[in-house]
Amino acid sequence: MDQVQWLLGLAVAIFAVGLLGVIVRRNLLVMLMCMELMLNGVNLSLVTFAHQMGEAVGAVLVFLIFVVATAEIAVAIPIVLLLVKRKGSLDLAAYTDLKG
Amino acid sequence: MIDALLARLDTLLMLVFGVGALGGAALMIVLREPMRVATALISTMVFLGGIYGLLGVHFIAAFQVLIYVGAVMVFMVYVIMLLDPRDPAIQRRFSRLLLPGVAGFALLIAALVAATWKVAPKPAAGAVEGFGLQQFAVAFLREYWLQFELTSVLLVAAIVAAVAVVRLNRRG
Amino acid sequence: MGALTWIVVLPLLGFLVNGLAGNALGKRFVSVVGSGLPIASFLIAAASVAALLAHDSRPVIDVAFTWATFAGKPFEIAFYLDRLSAVMVLIVTGVGSLIHIYSTGYMHDDESYARFFAYLNLFLFFMLLLVLGRSLLVLFVGWEGVGLASYLLIGFWFEDPEKAAAGKKAFITNRVGDAGFLLGMFLLFFACGTLDMDRINATFAQGVPAGVTASLIGVLLFIGATGKSAQIPLHVWLPDAMAGPTPVSALIHAATMVTAGVYLVARMSGIYVHAEFASSVVATIGVLTAFFAATIALVQTDIKRVLAYSTVSQLGFMFLAAGVGAYGVAIFHVVTHAFFKACLFLGAGSVIHAMSGEQDIRKMGALAKKIPITFATFAISTAAIAGLPPLSGFFSKDEILWFAYGSSFGGSGWLLVLASATALMTAFYMFRLLWLTFFGSPRMDDEVRHHIHESPWSMTGVLIVLALLAALGGFFSIPHFLEPLLPLPKVRPEAQAFHGPLVWIAVGLGVGGLLLAAYFYADDGRRAAELKPSFEPLHRLLSGKYYIDELYDAVLGRPLTWISEKVFLRIGDRFLIDGSLDSLAALAQRSAGRLSKMQTGNLHLYALLVLAGIVGALAWSWRHG
Repeated sequence: MDQVQWLLGLAVAIFAVGLLGVIVRRNLLVMLMCMELMLNGVNLSLVTFAHQMGEAVGAVLVFLIFVVATAEIAVAIPIVLLLVKRKGSLDLAAYTDLKG
Repeated sequence: MIDALLARLDTLLMLVFGVGALGGAALMIVLREPMRVATALISTMVFLGGIYGLLGVHFIAAFQVLIYVGAVMVFMVYVIMLLDPRDPAIQRRFSRLLLPGVAGFALLIAALVAATWKVAPKPAAGAVEGFGLQQFAVAFLREYWLQFELTSVLLVAAIVAAVAVVRLNRRG
Repeated sequence: MGALTWIVVLPLLGFLVNGLAGNALGKRFVSVVGSGLPIASFLIAAASVAALLAHDSRPVIDVAFTWATFAGKPFEIAFYLDRLSAVMVLIVTGVGSLIHIYSTGYMHDDESYARFFAYLNLFLFFMLLLVLGRSLLVLFVGWEGVGLASYLLIGFWFEDPEKAAAGKKAFITNRVGDAGFLLGMFLLFFACGTLDMDRINATFAQGVPAGVTASLIGVLLFIGATGKSAQIPLHVWLPDAMAGPTPVSALIHAATMVTAGVYLVARMSGIYVHAEFASSVVATIGVLTAFFAATIALVQTDIKRVLAYSTVSQLGFMFLAAGVGAYGVAIFHVVTHAFFKACLFLGAGSVIHAMSGEQDIRKMGALAKKIPITFATFAISTAAIAGLPPLSGFFSKDEILWFAYGSSFGGSGWLLVLASATALMTAFYMFRLLWLTFFGSPRMDDEVRHHIHESPWSMTGVLIVLALLAALGGFFSIPHFLEPLLPLPKVRPEAQAFHGPLVWIAVGLGVGGLLLAAYFYADDGRRAAELKPSFEPLHRLLSGKYYIDELYDAVLGRPLTWISEKVFLRIGDRFLIDGSLDSLAALAQRSAGRLSKMQTGNLHLYALLVLAGIVGALAWSWRHG
């Protein structure tokens, strides 16, 4: 197995673990962090491809993902805080208003 | 022997960093307190930064640590600090979908690996062992300037949203 | 467009103009267009007939257009003028125009004036299609079309449910007959490969084609004729059809539409000469219908009903003549009947008009001096129908009686006996009608009596023309005119000697009827009333029209209604159709209910589903490269 395959496998694993965390963990903040993990997995695969192809596109896209992730967190966390103030709990099981 | 080790240092470090990143990710799922989960994530990110550095994209590695760890995770940690540890969400870790989740996880790994395993051609003729900041900057200013500007718009939107939330918070 | 096509199309134009714009354009416009176009058709028809005779009577064929081509065989809308259709077209357009003119007076105060003339013109269009059509298909279009026009006109005052029901009855009864007609047409197409009537006759002239019997076709076509021409068992609609306005009764149910069946048999004579069984069926039903209708007419008290049953009876005479092979004589009677029956109906209309709508003859009387023109024309036509010489009815009826006995193609003694008895009854009930209506003492309300007045010239003028035709029409010998086309049957040698005496017997029957009627019904029917109690059961049977309507209702009407209600409505419609639709809707609802259980509001589940989707997409793309 050469380096690219190993790195891609690692990126896939990190992404899958992140998605698993979103499904499995109850805490809202932990779920957010798992989403960040997913983004990291994607970043790794992009860098791997950029390294393999020699193109700058991969790096550019990684940089853009940084920006987007930052903006996302900056907005997501205040939303979570507001939600928690409303419901009084960080447990996702409490948020079933969309049922039916 | 040290020479043999040093000759293979790249591969070794890559392996260590990779295992570390994966370990941190696995810990994230398992640990109970959010603060510990955050720490695990930080470690994963740092290891990934190391991998980027090994691949030759030093500035991306720098950005990883600066932005991801330095801004995003710090913010995360602040928020975790604001929370009540007696919150029942912290007591019970897993949702009801643990088993289906793990099964799906296994399937996803299998499917993704099967999809990407074929992608292993030799590096292209003009591949460089890493490329420099200059190339990156030129690319940004020449071909991808539109995306660059759009990200600034996105950041403005995020700022506005954050201010709005603060106001809502104050009013509510 | 040839002359024949113009003859047919002009009334259609009248229908369109009056139907679409008549109400807006005023009664005078409607009258001019509605009567003028039929008169124009008549003039063109007369010119065409003159041209036909000048050219040695070679048939004129005018193809309008090709309707369809099927399996290489074209179906054309073509018109055919030979001596037979010449007679028919002149009658239809001539008498038709006169009745249109009459209607301008009779229907003057009706609010649906334009609609009436539109329907009358529509009827004329279809009738002309019928008599001028070359192919049975065109004839059938006309056949159905006159049925439609008849329905529209019988139920003209449709706000009255009884009148609307009468229209419905006429149409449905016709349709029953048409089933037989269609089967006959199919067999003819199968046998001859064409529906053109001249070609069919030519084919049969060389012998009956393989695979069909002439009698079967003859019977099937006659079933259609039974419906259209009100013979037993499909005669029940004609008396009810008197619910329509009187000009309609005159035009459609006396002079033209009901004779379509006779025309069909005469036109298809090429088949009937080979069909002995079918011809005997035709003659038998004809004479039986004539007899039974005459018996019913003896006791009717509505002036139009008497004339309606009289029409049924006279049609029976025409079929009797056709059934014994004397097709030319049958057409002769069609012509004379058109004259005197139209005159009688229009005269009845004039009487009803004078009597402010009263139709019961028991409430009439002593009208002869008050409405002299109506009386005179009515009397002449009554004498004509009774067969008094030298009026037209005498000539045609005498020929029928003669051939009923003497024809070698089915003539026999019992046909003559029944026909003679019918002739006697005809004279009797017609003169009964004349006496009760016009003589005796006035039996109406004073209010009505003060309003009695003669009709306007648009009505009486037509009556005079028709009465003249009824008087003199017999001198134009139509059987002789049609002989090149429809040869008269040979006479049985043993009957030959009876020819002279038969004429005297015929006259005797007419005069005898007159005298009997005068005896019983002078003085307001006093002697008849004295006789009535001894014949009470017979009288009830005849007044009830032999209870045939009740029989049809019990045997056909009620079972059909039961089946429609219980089987088709309850089971077919409600249970099967509505049930399947309702259960489909319920199925959709229930499955939607079950599917919505997926929306738990739990984000974990949604994320898991996203994962499942990703895995599925990857697996699929992996499979399919």
